[in-house]
Amino acid sequence: MTAIRLALRLGQWGLIGFAIVGFIATFINAVAFYAVAGHTQAEREAFAKSFSQIAAQLTVLLPPAMRLDTVGGYVQYRAYGSLVIVFSIWALASASGAARGNEERGLVEVILASGLSRVRALAAHVAAFAIASFVAALAASAGLMVGAIAGQESFPIGPAIEAAVLLAAIAVSCYSLVLLVAQLVAPRMATGIAGAVLLALFLLNSLSRTFDSLHTLRWLSPFRYYELSTPLPPGGNFDVTATLVLVGIAIVAGGLAALAFQKRDLGSALFALRASARPPTYEPSRALVWRIPIVRDVYDRRLGLATWAVGVSAIAALFVVLTKTIVQPLLSIPGLAAYFAAILHGPIYQSFLSSLWFGVAQLLMAGFAITQVGRWSAEDTDGRLDLILSNPVSRTRVVVERALVLALGALIIAAVSGVAVGLESHYQSIDLDGGRLAQASLMLVPFTLVFAAVGALLAARLPRATVGILGIFAFASYLMLQIGPLFKLPDWVQNLSAFKLYGQPLTEGIDRTGLAIMLAIVLVGFWTSAIVMQRRDVGA
Amino acid sequence: MPVAAIQTSKLSKDYGLGHGLFDLDLTVSPQEVFGFLGPNGAGKSTAIRCLMGMIRPTFGSAHIFGLDCLRDSVAVKRKVGYMPGDMPQFGSLRGREVVAYLGGLRGTIDPALVQKIAERFDLDLGRRFREYSSGNKKKLGIVLAFMHKPDLLILDEPTGGLDPLNQQEFYRLVNETREAGATIFLSSHILSEVEHVCDRVGIIRSGRLVKVAELDEIHRFHVHRMELEFAPGTEIPEAAIRSAAGVEDVVVEDSKVTCTVKGTFEPLLKALNGATVTNLASHEPSLEEVFLTYYRPDAPTEAIAR
Repeated sequence: MTAIRLALRLGQWGLIGFAIVGFIATFINAVAFYAVAGHTQAEREAFAKSFSQIAAQLTVLLPPAMRLDTVGGYVQYRAYGSLVIVFSIWALASASGAARGNEERGLVEVILASGLSRVRALAAHVAAFAIASFVAALAASAGLMVGAIAGQESFPIGPAIEAAVLLAAIAVSCYSLVLLVAQLVAPRMATGIAGAVLLALFLLNSLSRTFDSLHTLRWLSPFRYYELSTPLPPGGNFDVTATLVLVGIAIVAGGLAALAFQKRDLGSALFALRASARPPTYEPSRALVWRIPIVRDVYDRRLGLATWAVGVSAIAALFVVLTKTIVQPLLSIPGLAAYFAAILHGPIYQSFLSSLWFGVAQLLMAGFAITQVGRWSAEDTDGRLDLILSNPVSRTRVVVERALVLALGALIIAAVSGVAVGLESHYQSIDLDGGRLAQASLMLVPFTLVFAAVGALLAARLPRATVGILGIFAFASYLMLQIGPLFKLPDWVQNLSAFKLYGQPLTEGIDRTGLAIMLAIVLVGFWTSAIVMQRRDVGA
Repeated sequence: MPVAAIQTSKLSKDYGLGHGLFDLDLTVSPQEVFGFLGPNGAGKSTAIRCLMGMIRPTFGSAHIFGLDCLRDSVAVKRKVGYMPGDMPQFGSLRGREVVAYLGGLRGTIDPALVQKIAERFDLDLGRRFREYSSGNKKKLGIVLAFMHKPDLLILDEPTGGLDPLNQQEFYRLVNETREAGATIFLSSHILSEVEHVCDRVGIIRSGRLVKVAELDEIHRFHVHRMELEFAPGTEIPEAAIRSAAGVEDVVVEDSKVTCTVKGTFEPLLKALNGATVTNLASHEPSLEEVFLTYYRPDAPTEAIAR
């Protein structure tokens, strides 16, 4: 029990953060349902009919929707479709931290030295995450119930708890899978490879809804078992067997991870290449990159940057590949043609990519900014910033270099993914305006820097809480984009969202006002960060 | 008169609840090796972090070669080589890349000197940082601090984790560096380390500097461990010995008495009152014993300041 309590203590901020995210996601969507679906049954059925037609074409990415005329059906589709991804990312971060991060910090060694067996130590982490994810999932269910009350309705507790069990089950199965992968590979690659495995399993299930050739393989994906249950809509189901399979995956993967953990050395992978014999080196590296400011930091991050560039480009190409598959059936629906004509501007595929792909790209770039800001915080807390500042380097220069390194990194990712979109569009015979594509890709750079500037300010003042607060800021910013039009919020409120400031450059060109506001935020954020940095104690 | 290598005036960093550093007045001369001695939590690292401009003092000032440690921090760091108490994580970077990275920040390093120091400590710079043992991480810290031939070295507990052979090598490196004209300020809680290399020692306790002394002066502290052996059948004047001024830790075992004497021997000799002593031995205290005698938590601060 002590080990479980310690694991819970170490992950308490994750629990609190994801519980808040879960609650807000379901609450907002429940409230949004009452705002947009109408109040009479006829209005809601009409809403559900039009929404279902769109949802049916998006099954390549999202699970099919049902009973969108009810708050349960709407929240199941809108909130839980995203929450499963959010909870999987939590599982990835938490498990790779437990398996490798704690090991690098020496925490695992201390815990094992206390007499706890490796199996029990690992089991304690799984148990703690199961508790944490279930509590956070319950918070998500509570958000739905409170939202229903706000809409003058009540929501039954049984399906709400079933949804929580289901969400916790997929999260724990992802957690155990990451634990297993983390035992097998080198520590520095654990998070990246485990993330790629989860993404592949997610896409395997998602794409199998569209591509028949993947049907026979989708049983391999835990996400398949997750979506076999839809407990929230009236007439929905809770598939006990599928849920037990998720629990089984967690147990089997956790067991294999424990076995691998027992077999390997601390700090090493189970399958490690034997280092080739070589004479010791006493000379410093003479590579030119280490002598050039900015370049040396980009070079230091080259592996992560390459992973981001390739990953974002692959997802971008996938969206382009799917564009026609999704859009063409939608165009054949007479009612939607008028709808598209109203909301989309310019060529249809270009408009679709603008809304869907660049919407996702913004989320990914916000994620990139958060990971880089997380690194700044880590530099502060682990003493690396101390050593950097022990050189003749001013604190202002540190802030400026960080900004430029991040801008260069964002530019590389944006450029590579932009090229990927351009090439794949050409291959798919989708006519894209090259100039606009370049503008849309380049606009991702100031967009990323907005999050970086806010992060720099937080890292200068509250390094230990930076990642959590910045994550909430990104979530709130995205939420603002989603609910702003629904609740008819004033423009100035909607403009508080960086996602709104980005605009639709692929179809409408660069929104100069949005760009100016973003640049102002970036300048003020980093400038303030430099001032705060001057006045604070480093590493304190 | 040459400008002091380090000069602090009422340097204070108050963390509340009595923690921190208070009213540190210290002068370290050029080409001096100064030991900053104190147990964990005494305020050594706080003082060093103030000197390095990492933290802002609540009160007072610190100067290095006449430059203000905060206002002129960049200029200060051109003159300083720093070794933190704990090396930060550099993950999968190789040792030679860490050297090149931090050397690149500094602008100039001497690759030949890096190679010389690395060879001296047998530090393989081709290995990844995460593969280094704690001793090797310390060695890398030494390379980073010394690699640009700084005028002043500020070293926070530099030998923790080094094996005795490498400790000896480190002491030789410190002596050579001093002879080459550099000043060295090192903190430690290992008294023998200070004995090995320092010209002067400052002892810090609960955030306050309680004594600055030449090494010889510390050795001359009047603390002696005495062993007295009485002739068989002699009645040992135990009560008188125990009550003698400056006599402590009295242990009587058969005809032998051991005790600690602070100050002069006169009260002890008077307490013997003519009893026949067949053997009397006095051990010169090591710095460790001096420190432990004066540095017990219950000892008044003034005791060592006398």
